[in-house]
Amino acid sequence: MSAMLAFDDVTFAYAGQRALEAVTFTIAPGERVALVGRNGAGKSTVLRLVTGLLHPSTGVVRVGDWDTARRRPDELARRVGSLFQHADQQLFARTVADDVAFGPRVTGVALPEIAARVERALASLGLAAVAGEHPYDLPPPWRKLAALAGALALEPALLVLDEPTAGLDRRARAMVGAALAARAESGSALLVVTHDLSFAAETLDRALVLERGRLAWDAPLAGLLADAKRLEALGLVAPPLARLSQALGLPGGPLREQEVARALAQRCRA
Amino acid sequence: MRALHPFTLCGAALALPALAWLLPAPWGGAGAAVVALGLCAIGGEGSGVKVWRAALLTAAPFWFFLFLLHGTAGMLATGPRLTTMIASFLWLIAVLPPARLIEAMVAAGWPASAAFLLSATLSAVPALRERGRRIVDAQRCRGLDTRGGPLRRLAALRALALPLVLSALHEVDERALALETRGFTPGVRRTPLAPPRDRVAERALRWGLLIGCVALLVWRIA
Amino acid sequence: MSALALEGVTYRYPATRTPALADVTLAVNRGEVVGVIGNTGAGASTLLLVAADLVPRVLGGELEGRVTRTGRSALLLPTPWTQVSGMAFTVTDEVAFGPANLGWPLERITGAVERALVRVDAAHLAARDPATLSGGELQRVILAGILAMQPDVLLLDEPTAELDPVGAAAVWRLVREVAAEGAAVLVASSDLDALPDGADRIVWLAGGRVRAIGPARTVLSEATLWTEEGPGSTAIAGVWRRAELAAPFPLTVDEALERAR
Repeated sequence: MSAMLAFDDVTFAYAGQRALEAVTFTIAPGERVALVGRNGAGKSTVLRLVTGLLHPSTGVVRVGDWDTARRRPDELARRVGSLFQHADQQLFARTVADDVAFGPRVTGVALPEIAARVERALASLGLAAVAGEHPYDLPPPWRKLAALAGALALEPALLVLDEPTAGLDRRARAMVGAALAARAESGSALLVVTHDLSFAAETLDRALVLERGRLAWDAPLAGLLADAKRLEALGLVAPPLARLSQALGLPGGPLREQEVARALAQRCRA
Repeated sequence: MRALHPFTLCGAALALPALAWLLPAPWGGAGAAVVALGLCAIGGEGSGVKVWRAALLTAAPFWFFLFLLHGTAGMLATGPRLTTMIASFLWLIAVLPPARLIEAMVAAGWPASAAFLLSATLSAVPALRERGRRIVDAQRCRGLDTRGGPLRRLAALRALALPLVLSALHEVDERALALETRGFTPGVRRTPLAPPRDRVAERALRWGLLIGCVALLVWRIA
Repeated sequence: MSALALEGVTYRYPATRTPALADVTLAVNRGEVVGVIGNTGAGASTLLLVAADLVPRVLGGELEGRVTRTGRSALLLPTPWTQVSGMAFTVTDEVAFGPANLGWPLERITGAVERALVRVDAAHLAARDPATLSGGELQRVILAGILAMQPDVLLLDEPTAELDPVGAAAVWRLVREVAAEGAAVLVASSDLDALPDGADRIVWLAGGRVRAIGPARTVLSEATLWTEEGPGSTAIAGVWRRAELAAPFPLTVDEALERAR
């Protein structure tokens, strides 16, 4: 199966600073990947390269069979749905529904289908009740959800998201997780920049770790979360459920809440 | 140029348009416009071309309307004057960082709130430009095609204008609140952190410009 | 003694019928860290705005009840990119922005700024242009700017939202230090895992009302936190509850290990 996203020895430098150095990885359709690392390690740069807002200094970034250096961001939008930090700057329509409809409309989706997609996207994130509101009338966390709905409505083959759960409460985080899982099951690939390793453990399978512009780790997330020393060296902390699972030696090393709960119940009742 | 005292720079930015309007048309206005555009080119420091080009582009629609309304004579009379105003303002923005203006005003005894208001006006244009860029980026990443002929570009501009203004206004609200969290105390004088140096020669120049403009005004009225 | 006290406070935003806060009574003492938890829209941010005297003074609206403050309060907003002054060349100037507005003499400002930058681990950013900072760096710098004003009442709205886990842990430690130095700290946070150790007491807001208030561990163990109107509790409490094990739920990994053995 050909890759949905491929970074081939990508280096990116600007103003004399090397933001990314020799980064190489591929992501297959349906894969759920966490992009993790300290502040300033280069994660946002990766997302901007995928959307075509930046072109690599050397190396190639491919979305499917498209070389991003030869495509404009609006062309890449047909395959890539994105959520950047500070959703406030991504919202620009007069109502939430209009804003979510923007992407599908501009990329040529048929009218009846647009309405259906908007409804689905809003419902999946609990925004149906505020569809007619002005985006700036929503509290900041819900603006982020509105921007995410816009990306989901594109039903893209690849979703790249920057901190989709920052500042969200428990219910909203669960909705985001469910919506992303549903997209992945439909075949979309996910690349999610996140500090929230609890969320990552719940929704994502694979971890790419960036350290000062270089790829320091590319392997299943479970392996990373079980490796306390490596986490510490990377400036990361294992989420509470992973630590509990490890400390109790739960069989199978579960990381997701449902599985940990099951193993825990068995352990405590035994 | 940037080492000059902020008040000197402001003085020049005010004096040039004043001279443009006070001096007889068309050569008075034209002369002032040339000086203003020249300042743009020098003051831009590397991006000087961008500054005077921006000035000309901004002024162009006004020239067009002047021609429609007043014919060639009117256009030649008022056009350079408007260009001087625009060019002076853009030059001031390029050459005076808001932080320095605040320091100068605060050191001279102005209340901090007045200083911030003025500096916010100065930083409004670059801030809007930056915000516009971010909105366009977001629109492009959602599929909006921003190249193409003039009609396409106009449509793209329309897609940008409303969100730009609305989000900017909204942010003004949030920023006004945020600024209140940074220690404003009524009746307390802000401490200048790095007051800009004011030379005797510059002060003389500012007075000279003021007296010159007033004298010119009196001469024109009389 | 309390540095901040709200008595029966009800507040409505301009032109809004539903109150954002309803009959809120709470006091924060010197040396104490009080956490505010609740779902989005429950009123935590509004509570901080009231505590900071920004509402109704700056935003308008109607306030009933009484708010008493001793000393100076300072508020960290959840959106550091709006709180940046936009009028400073360097991080040092940015952090000095607040103290300069307070009219302090230059030496006092310099000292406060240096100390604040060291405390948020941003001393290495001192000469940088604030416009070039990443989200996390900016949040730390704005926090330094707030700390440099040496407030008696420190109000924080989601201070770790932009930070990575190591940065977040550092901020929680710093909050403890600042409280230990005598400040009263009121912090709204959705980072529930940090609160058992990070806060002394917790206020749970739902629909603008105080649903529960008490020692951190007591409030976080309430079963009702898990209803529709509640933000839940720590991840460990969540998994304990999901495993249908007996209440009260443990809140931290260590507590869970104790119970499981």
